[in-house]
Amino acid sequence: MKKYIYKVSVLALFGSVLFTSCEPEVDYEVNPSAGEELDFSNYVAVGNSLTAGFQDGGLYLEGQLYSYPAILADQFEEVGGGEFVQPLFTAAQRNGSGYLRLAALPTPTSPVTERVTDNLAVRTDVPPLPGGPRLTKFTQPVNNLAVPGMSVLSSYSTQYGAINPYFERLLPDAEVGTKSYLQRVAEADPTFFTLWLGNNDILTYATNGAVADPANPLSDKTPVVSFKTIYSLLVNELTDGGEVEGVIANIPDVTAVPFFNTVTLAAIRQGAGAPDLKVYIKVGPAPSDVRELTADDLVLLSAKANIGRPDQVQTPNGPVVIPHGFNPANPLNDNEVLDKDEVVEVKNHTKLLNDAIAEIAAANNIPVFDVNAFFNSIKGGFKIDEVTYSPAFISGNLFSLDGIHLTPRGYAIIANEFIRVANEYYNASIPTVDVTQYRTVVFPNNN
Amino acid sequence: MKSKILALLGGTLLSASAMAGGYQVNLASQRQIGMGHTGTGIVAGTSSIFFNPGAMSFLRENGVTIGASAIVSKIAYRSTEFTSATANTDNPIGTPFEVYAVYGITEKLKAGLGVYTPFGSTVNWGDEWNGRFGLTQLSLEAAFIQPTLSYQISDKVGVGAGLVIATGGVNLQRQLPLQGPDGTEPGVELDGGANTGFGFNAGIYFQPTEAFSIGIDYRSRIDLQVEGGEVSFSDLPSSASALFQPGTEFSAELPLPSTLTVGVGYRPNDRVTLAVDVSRVGWSAYEKLRFDYTKPVGGRLFSENARNYDDAYIYRIGGEYKSSDALTLRAGVYYDTTPVNNGYLTPETPDANALGLSAGLTYHLSDDFSVDASFLYVNKEERTDPANLSGGVAGTFKSVAYIPGIGLNYKF
Repeated sequence: MKKYIYKVSVLALFGSVLFTSCEPEVDYEVNPSAGEELDFSNYVAVGNSLTAGFQDGGLYLEGQLYSYPAILADQFEEVGGGEFVQPLFTAAQRNGSGYLRLAALPTPTSPVTERVTDNLAVRTDVPPLPGGPRLTKFTQPVNNLAVPGMSVLSSYSTQYGAINPYFERLLPDAEVGTKSYLQRVAEADPTFFTLWLGNNDILTYATNGAVADPANPLSDKTPVVSFKTIYSLLVNELTDGGEVEGVIANIPDVTAVPFFNTVTLAAIRQGAGAPDLKVYIKVGPAPSDVRELTADDLVLLSAKANIGRPDQVQTPNGPVVIPHGFNPANPLNDNEVLDKDEVVEVKNHTKLLNDAIAEIAAANNIPVFDVNAFFNSIKGGFKIDEVTYSPAFISGNLFSLDGIHLTPRGYAIIANEFIRVANEYYNASIPTVDVTQYRTVVFPNNN
Repeated sequence: MKSKILALLGGTLLSASAMAGGYQVNLASQRQIGMGHTGTGIVAGTSSIFFNPGAMSFLRENGVTIGASAIVSKIAYRSTEFTSATANTDNPIGTPFEVYAVYGITEKLKAGLGVYTPFGSTVNWGDEWNGRFGLTQLSLEAAFIQPTLSYQISDKVGVGAGLVIATGGVNLQRQLPLQGPDGTEPGVELDGGANTGFGFNAGIYFQPTEAFSIGIDYRSRIDLQVEGGEVSFSDLPSSASALFQPGTEFSAELPLPSTLTVGVGYRPNDRVTLAVDVSRVGWSAYEKLRFDYTKPVGGRLFSENARNYDDAYIYRIGGEYKSSDALTLRAGVYYDTTPVNNGYLTPETPDANALGLSAGLTYHLSDDFSVDASFLYVNKEERTDPANLSGGVAGTFKSVAYIPGIGLNYKF
């Protein structure tokens, strides 16, 4: 009898071993294809900081490696894409311009950041430019032409190469201050392009609390007429008069990013531990142009550290220490707040610029990735693979520590949206990426 | 009490893979597995304790049965759209088991005790797939202990009922969606034993003729409640300790749904028995999966995801052929409809309509002693789901399982 049980057991064991090797398979096949129209042999990306891989308040090697054009180029490689050259910093100068890293998170809502200042690509052998210190040059031909700080307006200026160090580093010395970005783009000769430019034509103004510097025309809203003219020239160069395909992305709503929606009245009150705290802001040049901060006014993330700062304020009774923002005598400055009227002004201007982009794209038969609609649609958060994403600072996983630029994960999500637009418009089957393979904000090991 | 019982039963024996609708595991008897897991409309030996306590009173001898199955289950996954992300589970072999003992107090009144594992799930996706922030590993265990009485009212009718004492536990692991300086992703593990739950299993068996019989059985819903479960974090960067604090505990509740079964038996001759069962499983009880935490986890004191299962039906048919006095052969088939609605698929139970094919045999080594062997193959339909309503992982899932089992019967 024992023998029989043994036999049956062996049989059962044999059966289970046999069947262990029978793996289930998901049947449907994925056949990557560029479709009939697309040729990725020379993909060129044109844009600003978002296209360069800028994040955490700086441009550095890791961010460049995970720029959305780099992610796209990887995917295009599966459908006939060619080499994609980026103006990468070297490993020795991997921290590029320097950037912010998370130093500590004493409470979930009070991140402490610090600036990385070693292994930079900053040049000390030459004087700095108006836009900052010069960076190690990269003058070979590149596919990622993105220049942090570039706007549509500045792309027309031949002097801009002598102002913006990110543009300067891409230009041979002879062309610095003589060649415009538009001219540089015209030399690129792509077979496929992405164009995501125009954010800085309104964002520079908005991130300064809607205060423009009269001496610097690039700090103001770009007039719609100029925008339209230059944008048409850019698209015309890239499409080579209708020969070349691409995808155009428009300008997101500034109120959808953490830089504007993190330091809310509620957050200030919570941080101060005073639920009825009144906060005062300056809304005009006259001394009386002070009012209470409301939930509709957006305090800039960059102003957070200034709130409550003990300032010496001159009063009729002599100097008194008054915390910044907590008293009408020491309100938050105009350039620390995008007040509710300015929010409307910025939104309206963004709409005008986006209308211009849509019009020019349609005229050239190029599809538009509506980033504006995309970011507005995710304000309440969304989930991919059981991870929650939202425009919340740090915890939202999309935005890097500067509150404006994305994390590698955020850029991967953007890359997938570009791919979806291209797949739909050009009837292609370009594979999307597994976004979980790209990181979010890095948490350090220290206290 | 729960941990003692678990220890008594031998912890590892309890794990089972989800190879029926939801996390139900219909592997209650080696003999009945061979017949497509029918058994409510016939006298199913000692396992009538499970299938229909009303039929238990019709047993002619006292007996003890022990048995176990080995679930070799595999799930393949491919992400949605054109993503090349794929994954395969590496599930440990699940080993649900059953023990039944029946003793005749009088000719008409029988007492029985059953211990079996009707719910459970063990799935291991590993910590590299794109759904790892939802789930890397899940082990859900439940064991039911059922003291039972059955009374034969007449030659034709028997009734029976048992008290069900349920115990179990859950261990769920996933990655946290943040990373340390070297790219390490921390993990979180939720581990807790359930409070003892109570329910019942009652049935009526009616045998109007020698050839024909019918039975109805109802097993009640039991809620598996975990309180004070442990939440532990691994590889957590110290700067994230404000978001994920040590000493956090969780509580959760999982319904183990009711099952109503109507079964019919037909014996055209001495050698052949045919059985048909239809079950309705009350999965609509599973509306959401909610974990409450004693300290905020990632800034939130609870997590809740909708499940909104529907009641599901299982259709079974099986047959038995007495080849000789020593040998009985069996075969069966069943179709198990999924309780999971579109949009609600999760990697814990990537469920779909399933076809089960089974075969089995009993060999009598002596008058008193026999061995059951069974084999069940389960093939779930390939299912693509956006998982947009459950907060799950979108994609296409395909599951199969190979389940050999063996049981021993002793009559006295």
